[in-house]
Amino acid sequence: MASGVPPPSRAEILSLFRSLLRTARDFADYNIREYSKRRTIDAFRQNKDLPDPLSVSAAYSDGKSQLEVARRQAIVYALYAPKVKSIMENKL
Amino acid sequence: MASKLLASVLLRQTSLRTSHIRTLSTAAVAAVAPPSTAEPYEDPSGISMKGVKISGRPLYLDMQATSPLDPRVVDSMLPYYLSRFGNPHSRTHLYGWESDQAVEAARAQVAALINASPKEIVFTSGATESNNISVKGVMHFYKDKKRHVITTQTEHKCVLDSCRHLQQEGFDITYLPVGSDGIIELDQLRSSIRPDTGLVSIMAVNNEIGVIQPMEEIGKICRELNVPFHTDAAQALGKIPIDVENWNVSLMSLSGHKIYGPKGVGALYMRRRPRIRVEPQMNGGGQERGIRSGTVPTPLVVGMGAACELAMKEMEYDEKRITKLQEQLLNGIRAKLDGVVVNGSTERRYAGNLNLSFAYVEGESLLMGLKEVAVSSGSACTSASLEPSYVLRALGVDEDMAHTSIRFGIGRFTTEAEIDRAVELTVQQHYFTIELATQLFIAGNVLLSKPSPLCVIDVALCRQCCLVVGVIALSLLVML
Repeated sequence: MASGVPPPSRAEILSLFRSLLRTARDFADYNIREYSKRRTIDAFRQNKDLPDPLSVSAAYSDGKSQLEVARRQAIVYALYAPKVKSIMENKL
Repeated sequence: MASKLLASVLLRQTSLRTSHIRTLSTAAVAAVAPPSTAEPYEDPSGISMKGVKISGRPLYLDMQATSPLDPRVVDSMLPYYLSRFGNPHSRTHLYGWESDQAVEAARAQVAALINASPKEIVFTSGATESNNISVKGVMHFYKDKKRHVITTQTEHKCVLDSCRHLQQEGFDITYLPVGSDGIIELDQLRSSIRPDTGLVSIMAVNNEIGVIQPMEEIGKICRELNVPFHTDAAQALGKIPIDVENWNVSLMSLSGHKIYGPKGVGALYMRRRPRIRVEPQMNGGGQERGIRSGTVPTPLVVGMGAACELAMKEMEYDEKRITKLQEQLLNGIRAKLDGVVVNGSTERRYAGNLNLSFAYVEGESLLMGLKEVAVSSGSACTSASLEPSYVLRALGVDEDMAHTSIRFGIGRFTTEAEIDRAVELTVQQHYFTIELATQLFIAGNVLLSKPSPLCVIDVALCRQCCLVVGVIALSLLVML
């Protein structure tokens, strides 16, 4: 537990949010893409009013590790994306 | 056979409407089909497989059959396929130690989801194997004193088949009936328990109708009468809160691929206090405390652990969303169609499983026409045969309503837009199927000297006379 580390600033949190949404956009699979976008927005909205800096830091580092996972998986899903997209993407 | 003919008539109609010229003879279709049926033929304009051509991958609404892997689960599994490929039972080097560490971590993750101790979890190849170990293993171990098993009529095929196998060996099995809402009568259970009852096996959430049995009450009865209680929680894991202490279960079967984990892995919870003993079904090197020998598949087990941890975190969020989506689906369909019946209890049900029966249409044709939505009628295990599902029959659903049942499975990754599209397609296909049936009926009445007014309404008759009417209608359509 690093007690001397300050909690993330508003700018850092917003930057994490934007990176997550940008990475979500890169998913080749329609369902995963929609889920990542929706889950990011809902998670940040839910954690909007966290009371103490410790829980804010914890949520921020959790978000950062999720960003790493999303970045890797976006590449893996793109490597094996089927040639034909989901029906939902045709009419959009 | 008659139904296949009807289906091919339907396809012919559809293909005429989409202006494709197709040959009627099945031999010609087989000759044109690609030689390797393992690879669907994909080109930028669509997919063509089994004589069906669609413009994109169907939207997936069959979450009870299996679920897509969550990307976070894939991320946790990949290192164990690529660089950390050791056998967890190798004691002498790093590869073995790191795999073993991963397996034990996964075991703790699975145990945490059901409020058990990691020492009570045994990894197997799936819920079917866990069910086999529970039912046959327990009864073979206690075969001198205990000769009776109680289960329900709506259990999964693997439990029913294990019970049938035990019956052939000379055990007695009681198959408890269910009410029209799919839930068992507790008094009937209590009165069926005999002094030589060795096991009560009742699944928590039914895979076909999504009904949740009263687990705590059943557990109380079993503890009172000192009978081991086994439950197949494959569909319940990660969807409803499970607590082995509250439910008082001795054995629980869990499955990986129903909770956005990998296929080919499952787990068996075996209570330690009081200890339940089983005879192992897989003999070998004594892995998994002798209960299930064989190398534990590290990547699959790690994936299942990650899926369980995710399920614990996301259960509330997913449940809220899925309930909302289920309402949207049901209200959307009910707004446009009459005669829609929900099979199973509406109160005690898991929201992600919606089993609907449509009056006035033939189920196989409705399903065959819904090519752009991946749904199923009844469970994946029984959909190969044309028999209506035994679960619906146990509920007391009429023969013709049982034939038209469709199971919509909603999951974590389903979107509102997909639900809207599914409603639209179902309603459209429903009207189209009625229209086609009416055309066949008219054709039959025109060409047969003895018109059969029961042809459309009574499905059983329709299947038999369809052969004649279908051939005549085919030739009519060719001429049109």
